[in-house]
Amino acid sequence: MSVPTDHLLALAAILFALGVLGFLVRKNVIIVLASIELMLNAANLSFLAASRHWSQSTLAGQGDPSAGPIFAIFVILVAAAEAAVGLALVIALYRLKQSVALDRVAELKG
Amino acid sequence: MAEALFYLLGAAAVAFAIGVVRARMPLFSILNLLGSFFCLAGIYLLAGFPFLAATQLLVYAGAIMVLFLFVIMLLNLGDEAELERHAGLSLSGRRLFVAGTSAALLGLVGLAAADATTVFAADTLPEGRALDDLSMLARLLFSRYMLPFEAASLLLLATMVAVIVLAKRERQRTTPSSASGPLTAARQEPVESGAPR
Repeated sequence: MSVPTDHLLALAAILFALGVLGFLVRKNVIIVLASIELMLNAANLSFLAASRHWSQSTLAGQGDPSAGPIFAIFVILVAAAEAAVGLALVIALYRLKQSVALDRVAELKG
Repeated sequence: MAEALFYLLGAAAVAFAIGVVRARMPLFSILNLLGSFFCLAGIYLLAGFPFLAATQLLVYAGAIMVLFLFVIMLLNLGDEAELERHAGLSLSGRRLFVAGTSAALLGLVGLAAADATTVFAADTLPEGRALDDLSMLARLLFSRYMLPFEAASLLLLATMVAVIVLAKRERQRTTPSSASGPLTAARQEPVESGAPR
């Protein structure tokens, strides 16, 4: 595949922007968590794009192409942990409020 | 061929991501997220990361998405007032559309897998190998990245304990008294509001 690295990074940026949009705009906790997953995936894609970029034969020795997949694995791990804790929080919140709408949770509002 | 597939999968990933943000019901949002993950797995495969594509499918699509769907089903979400505002295709048309896009998506990922063999032979990759060679990753993980690896295991342990504490606390308090705890009351409420459907 001879797609330039820029295009992979542009795709990652678009996905990250959509994740930020969902995180800021939506009120449903589950969709907010899904948006966070989307952002983590965009970060993963940019890690892998960088790894692929530095593995090209013309750039040999300038960067470390093996760091990308390692970091991607750690990001996936953190995403799994985040999803587990986030969904446990959603369950606890639902028990408390009988709702998953974020605008009903305003106890900390001054 | 691989380029066309990349742009197709990228466009599909963006379309699914828009679906995640726009979906009225959390269930559709999560299903769109699943589609986006599938497209990204195809892109990883095309870019020369077959192991990470498999991990993406196993961990994200297999484990995390099932966790999301499990919580949605457990809390009986989705039949909120938002459902009535969901305009657009009829139910059967929507089902057809979803089935069609899923089939097309599976075909795309399959094409990416078939194309990956030719991609690995391309001269952009050093000696045509995958960029996430497993033996290389394992060696790095247990030498240079040993400390992050151990920290990750600690994180997973802490997560496990935290999730058990968070999800179990209320039930311990209610089980000795009676069956009319907050959870049972919560479970009955959405059923009533969901009756018009």
